[in-house]
Amino acid sequence: MLKSEIKRLVRRHTEIGILFISLCLVLLFTLTSEGRWANAYNIGTILQVTATLGLMTLGVALVIGTGEIDISVGSTFGIGALIYLWFAVRIDPVFAALLAVGAGALIGAFNGILVTRTKTPSLIITLGSLMIFRGLAIALTDGFSFSVPYKERDGFSYSVLGGAEFLGINTGFYWLVAGLAVLLIALKMTPWGNWLLAVGGSAASAHSRGVRVERIKLSAFVVCGVLAAFAGTLEASKLGFADGSMGRLMELQAIAACVLGGCVLAGGRISLPGAVLGAFVLSSVQSYLVVTGVRPQWFILLLGLIVVFAALGDRTLRRWSLKN
Amino acid sequence: MNKQTPLIQIKNLDLHFGAFHALKNVSVDFHAGELVGLVGDNGAGKTTLIRVLCGIHTPSAGEVYFDGTRVKTFHPKLAIDQGIETIQQSVGLCDNLSIARNFYLGREPVKRFCGLPLLDFAKMREMSGRVIRQFGLRENVSVDDEVERLSGGERQSVKIGRAVEFKNRVVIMDEPTNHLSVREREHVNELALQLRDQGLLVIYITHDIFQVHRLADRIVIMENGEKIEDASTETMSAEALEEVIRQGGRIVEKRDAV
Amino acid sequence: MFFPTSLSRGAGFGAVVGVALMLSVFTVIDFDGWWTVQTVTNVLHFASILGLIAMGQALVIMSKEIDLSVGSVYGLAGIAFITLQPDLGVPGAIVAALLISALIGFLQALAVLKGALPSMIVSLGGLFTVRGIIYVWTGGSVRAFPEEARSHWITRMLGGEFLGLEASLFWLLVLLAILSVLLWRTKFGNHLLAAGGDLDSAKSQGVQTDRTKTIAFVTCSLLAGFAGIVTLADRPQTHVTLGELLELEAIAAAVIGGCLLSGGRGSLLGAVLGALIVVSFRYELIALGAPSSWFMTFVGIVLIIAVIFNQKLARAAGHSL
Repeated sequence: MLKSEIKRLVRRHTEIGILFISLCLVLLFTLTSEGRWANAYNIGTILQVTATLGLMTLGVALVIGTGEIDISVGSTFGIGALIYLWFAVRIDPVFAALLAVGAGALIGAFNGILVTRTKTPSLIITLGSLMIFRGLAIALTDGFSFSVPYKERDGFSYSVLGGAEFLGINTGFYWLVAGLAVLLIALKMTPWGNWLLAVGGSAASAHSRGVRVERIKLSAFVVCGVLAAFAGTLEASKLGFADGSMGRLMELQAIAACVLGGCVLAGGRISLPGAVLGAFVLSSVQSYLVVTGVRPQWFILLLGLIVVFAALGDRTLRRWSLKN
Repeated sequence: MNKQTPLIQIKNLDLHFGAFHALKNVSVDFHAGELVGLVGDNGAGKTTLIRVLCGIHTPSAGEVYFDGTRVKTFHPKLAIDQGIETIQQSVGLCDNLSIARNFYLGREPVKRFCGLPLLDFAKMREMSGRVIRQFGLRENVSVDDEVERLSGGERQSVKIGRAVEFKNRVVIMDEPTNHLSVREREHVNELALQLRDQGLLVIYITHDIFQVHRLADRIVIMENGEKIEDASTETMSAEALEEVIRQGGRIVEKRDAV
Repeated sequence: MFFPTSLSRGAGFGAVVGVALMLSVFTVIDFDGWWTVQTVTNVLHFASILGLIAMGQALVIMSKEIDLSVGSVYGLAGIAFITLQPDLGVPGAIVAALLISALIGFLQALAVLKGALPSMIVSLGGLFTVRGIIYVWTGGSVRAFPEEARSHWITRMLGGEFLGLEASLFWLLVLLAILSVLLWRTKFGNHLLAAGGDLDSAKSQGVQTDRTKTIAFVTCSLLAGFAGIVTLADRPQTHVTLGELLELEAIAAAVIGGCLLSGGRGSLLGAVLGALIVVSFRYELIALGAPSSWFMTFVGIVLIIAVIFNQKLARAAGHSL
């Protein structure tokens, strides 16, 4: 009886796996690093990285939820960072952020329209836009970076957008929490969310019940673009620095985080809290390697192994929970 | 059979999928308060035809009239808004969603919270549960369970219950008795008759010509994308109809004298 | 004559049109810059390298999978070749590097087929893991190739000139011929296309889809590894980032060449021509003096246009997608 109850819990909440792993890792890292990992400053850094990666991952998770994929988010991140920082020295940073987010929405719309209108696999379309916008970002900055000195970045707007801390944690993290809350409500408790999951589960069935499949997919891509560009904004605000290569390879980490968090690539089953936890796990592992003096080269190797074994573990867990 | 203006009129319908000619110059009328059996061998085009009616496919040529008005755009949402409910064989349920969510997919009940539309879960659970249990859903299965876990018969119950709940003017049933036990089949067939008696148009697709002959007022036979026969069940026996299907419309049957 | 036959299957047609178009445009706007010995030699050399990788990717895509790790495998094989050479000699190092590549392909196939995982995820993991292995193994820097290894006859066969042609081009043509025969004239090729086109039908017809796909994955990794070795045989100095993002170019080349992600359709010659298009763009932009960042943007645009064009072509030919 208890076993079937647990199975039902696991079925309904795909984030249980990653939650368990996160708790184990936190325990493990705390106990084996003699305080170098589990202190306020380090945890603050981890949460900072989790914030930007997490926001990007949330967007990717939504697109995966509709059964598509967006590998251009790293380039959108870079464009968002560049636009924000360039405008932030000229106009109020809040407006600069809106412009950056608007650019993200346009890139998302570009992806979404091409995918739905031409019925081309999203992997290829977003591969194309990854290249187009990365090239654009590098071309715009002409291979150089630009930065805004710290003293020019102490306005309230900057602080709110990731340039400062609140209660010891970078403000970007609060945006992540807010974003997670809003999207979770939208996904689980609104008709739009029902349509999104339906489209991912079976686009044909959703279509037959009157759901506007193309509009839903387009909306997912736009939200994804917005989140990626906003993440770029927060990063640029925090660093005061932006160059043409920002966000490079982040899309791969975002996908890895989604898989870690229990999102199924085929669509229809995603977990937003799981995706954020996935981003947290990746950031934590990286931080742990740094503080324990392991050569940074090991991180990328571990990342690869984590991705595969997490996917395997998640699949096994799901299979087990489905058996009667 | 009712002699009023047909609810649905199909005139010279043609449908191509790339090089494949799926429907060839099909013309047929359907009336309210009528139960029409749509029969034919595999690949005849029955499912394709009803998919045009429920908005999934757009015709390449020809016209469809609903309630006297020409249909200009084909989309499932428009068909559902017009009151056409369909029980399809291979599509209709999303495995990853719960029974309740599938039941209300596309017409979710909402409660407004500060202007935001939030799903009314209480209503969804209560109504879907009540309706589907009438069609055979076991007590120990919760409407919050994912459809993926249901048996073939239970999935059928969900589809049928949904169509019955939201029925309006037309109910199209594509092989509705698949996966059902004998008693459940009888229940579904009684239901089809009740819907007809309530004034709806019921289009019933099946392979079992003897079963549908007992139920239907009229039988339409398709083969190879064409309509080859359209006869009332009073004027044509089941055996005669079976013969037509077997011969593939190559021999024009002499109607049995009543 | 399988040359025209494979083109007439339609899959590579778009690529041929693309190449013709591209060459015409380049001739018109930059005759002197494009048609120089240096540019053409460079293009042929690097297009051959990318072409080898793209052919492997094409095989995998035709079996309805994907391999995002080819860039890392390419890098690992090349670096393994250099790093192992002092201990194993040139032939030994080559064999070792190829074995490593094949092993990676095999392990990924195992995870995809037995672990029932999407190839995108497995090969993504492979991309990271193999790149990590490169970093950890070399400690961040790659030694140079000693002189006697560089003048070894095998090295010269792979990296210099062979029978009057750029060696890389020679090997590309040889492997293109072999693989084309394999794909279009053998039972294996038939099984591969069947498994990619409709897995369930293929299985029900008795095709050993797991074995077929495994061979596709292993071949893809082998080709990527071979390309890495050839690259280093030609230019024996490199960096640990060798091959980064190359998988994207390989996928772009394969898709431009007509491989449809829906599986079962594609063209090896098309993938090679796709590689030619991608590399040509890069070198023409260099010849024009344009910043190299424009390259990425252009390839992205060409990719999107090419894939839409190829899909329309396939639909018009009556294929359902």
